[in-house]
Amino acid sequence: MESGRIANLTPGTSTRANLYKNLKDLNKLLLAIVELGKELVEDGKGRFAVAIDSVSEMLRHASIFSVAGLLSNLRSHSQVSCLFWLLHSDIHETKAIAALEYISSIQASSEPITRPINGQRANSEKLPFLEQNLRGGKIHIRFKRRNGRVRLMSEEFCIEQSGIKFTPISSEAEMIAQSLVPKVQFNLELSEKERNDRAKVVLPFEHQGNGKTIQIYDGRKSLNEDRAEIQYTSAEKVQTVTDSGRGEIIYFRDSDDEMPDSDEDPDDDLDI
Amino acid sequence: MAGNKPRVSSFSRNFTAASNTISQIPGLKHGPNGTMFLSSGILDLDKILGGGFTLGSLVMVMEDPEAPHHMLLIRNFMSQGLVHNQPLLYASPAKDPRGFLGTLPSPVFSKDEKSRDRDAEQEKGLRIAWQYKKYFDEQNSEFQRDEKSEYCNDFDLRKPLERHFYSGQQIDCIRLEDSADLTTFHDRCSSFLSQTPRNDRNITCPGRIAIQSLGAPQCDFSDKECNMLSFVRSLKNTIRSSNAVAVITFPPSLFSPSFSKRLQHLADTLVSVKAIPDEDKELAKLLTGYQDMVGLLSVHKVARINTQVPTILEATTFSMKLQKRRSLILECLNQAPIDGSSGISYASSGSCTGSSKTGALDF
Repeated sequence: MESGRIANLTPGTSTRANLYKNLKDLNKLLLAIVELGKELVEDGKGRFAVAIDSVSEMLRHASIFSVAGLLSNLRSHSQVSCLFWLLHSDIHETKAIAALEYISSIQASSEPITRPINGQRANSEKLPFLEQNLRGGKIHIRFKRRNGRVRLMSEEFCIEQSGIKFTPISSEAEMIAQSLVPKVQFNLELSEKERNDRAKVVLPFEHQGNGKTIQIYDGRKSLNEDRAEIQYTSAEKVQTVTDSGRGEIIYFRDSDDEMPDSDEDPDDDLDI
Repeated sequence: MAGNKPRVSSFSRNFTAASNTISQIPGLKHGPNGTMFLSSGILDLDKILGGGFTLGSLVMVMEDPEAPHHMLLIRNFMSQGLVHNQPLLYASPAKDPRGFLGTLPSPVFSKDEKSRDRDAEQEKGLRIAWQYKKYFDEQNSEFQRDEKSEYCNDFDLRKPLERHFYSGQQIDCIRLEDSADLTTFHDRCSSFLSQTPRNDRNITCPGRIAIQSLGAPQCDFSDKECNMLSFVRSLKNTIRSSNAVAVITFPPSLFSPSFSKRLQHLADTLVSVKAIPDEDKELAKLLTGYQDMVGLLSVHKVARINTQVPTILEATTFSMKLQKRRSLILECLNQAPIDGSSGISYASSGSCTGSSKTGALDF
């Protein structure tokens, strides 16, 4: 293991470079990282963050299991505050990607804003896309919260002189307007035609009798005289429904002198 | 909630005097077909499985890499064992498995508060249907038991288990990393299980084995699938002839599909947990109670020992909720009517009746 020192870039930071060549034994690498970290913090008790530039490189020399072991040991080390690593997701097999996703708590993936639709374009036409991709892209984050829910976030970023700026996804990307009505199996909204038709519907009792008052036979013998009496005494119980002169419904409450049972079907007189 | 009644066969086991001592051993319960039940630590899960985990069975939990819900199941399982003074073997890929014992939940002993709450709720709910009160009184009488002999405790996930529960116990904590090809781990399991043999003469205290994340990427044996498979198979055989229950959680996303399927077939009881997206408006409209949900639990297989009749559950997917942030409850999913043509995947897997509504209704 060789070590060296780089001249200070900005006041207040110090850098130190250690070259470690042997990737076969990741346990030693782990110890070296932890030692280096301890030296960085004051009196060896503080916490430090670890960033690994390319796990893809490590996976070239070591198996996924030893790399995963290294990462999880670093993660669970009491002095490591956070751990950040980069990976090229398209060059590894799914098992390796799945293993790394398993031990991570946040996954961020970046992609270009626009992809060329036709892959067979001439080089000169590709340039604007490449330039655009160099300057920014989209980032998708899956954040595993402690309570077990997964939060998904997507933002656009662009790289400028001063730093990286994040903005919410522009509306050019898919934004489906959501109507406030929930999707149900019933059609809760009416089209114009349906609205007109509804206004035209004649309700059943409106056309009964065609303008004349009707007598609903309810199985009593002395119909006429009873009705005449009741009409005067229970005026307040009478309900009438008039609809533009179409018909009238006069209702007599007959619960006072109701017979225990009646053989006739009361629905016989309905005229719908 | 699906609580299935055990099928009563025409044969019934003649309980001898020795077996009567089972009722005095806390944490054991008679089940159908001469089996015995052990509590899982989660009241709702016991009800769904028809009484608990069958003694001598292998329970496997399929993890979701995005959610730690399998830890809830393991924690409750282990805590229940410790409360009942049952020997426990715990293995995990972590560096310090014994430290995990400090994160186990503590049982809630204030049953009066709980039963009073339930009573009050039921009082309000049954004003109109007052005639049904007589059925609820039967349930309340179950809570009048002594706390020590309660079959399944309610665990407070925010409070850690008191030290005296696990300081003096026979608890084996094993690091899975130590065992290069699982042979040493297998030997430890076998010796643990020999402490709890099964014979009709005397019933010793049942044992519990909890293996967390078998096949996690940190362990060397994780790529040796045949080793893991033979380990699980031999563990299952040993468990069958002993008075213990083993709960193994494994991440199926890390395995090849055929290996994952084989592990699933080896299980007697198979359960899977699933994460749910946070602040998903679609899901909030679809499911009632979405705000309190932390995940989904699906029961794929229920152990049936000494019988050929399978258990068919009314509902297989349940929502996991933390009641008052402290105790885990499982509820059947309540689903709003959906537009059948959109085919939202959560709805089709979460339907209570087991058949998703497809196609528009015709009136």
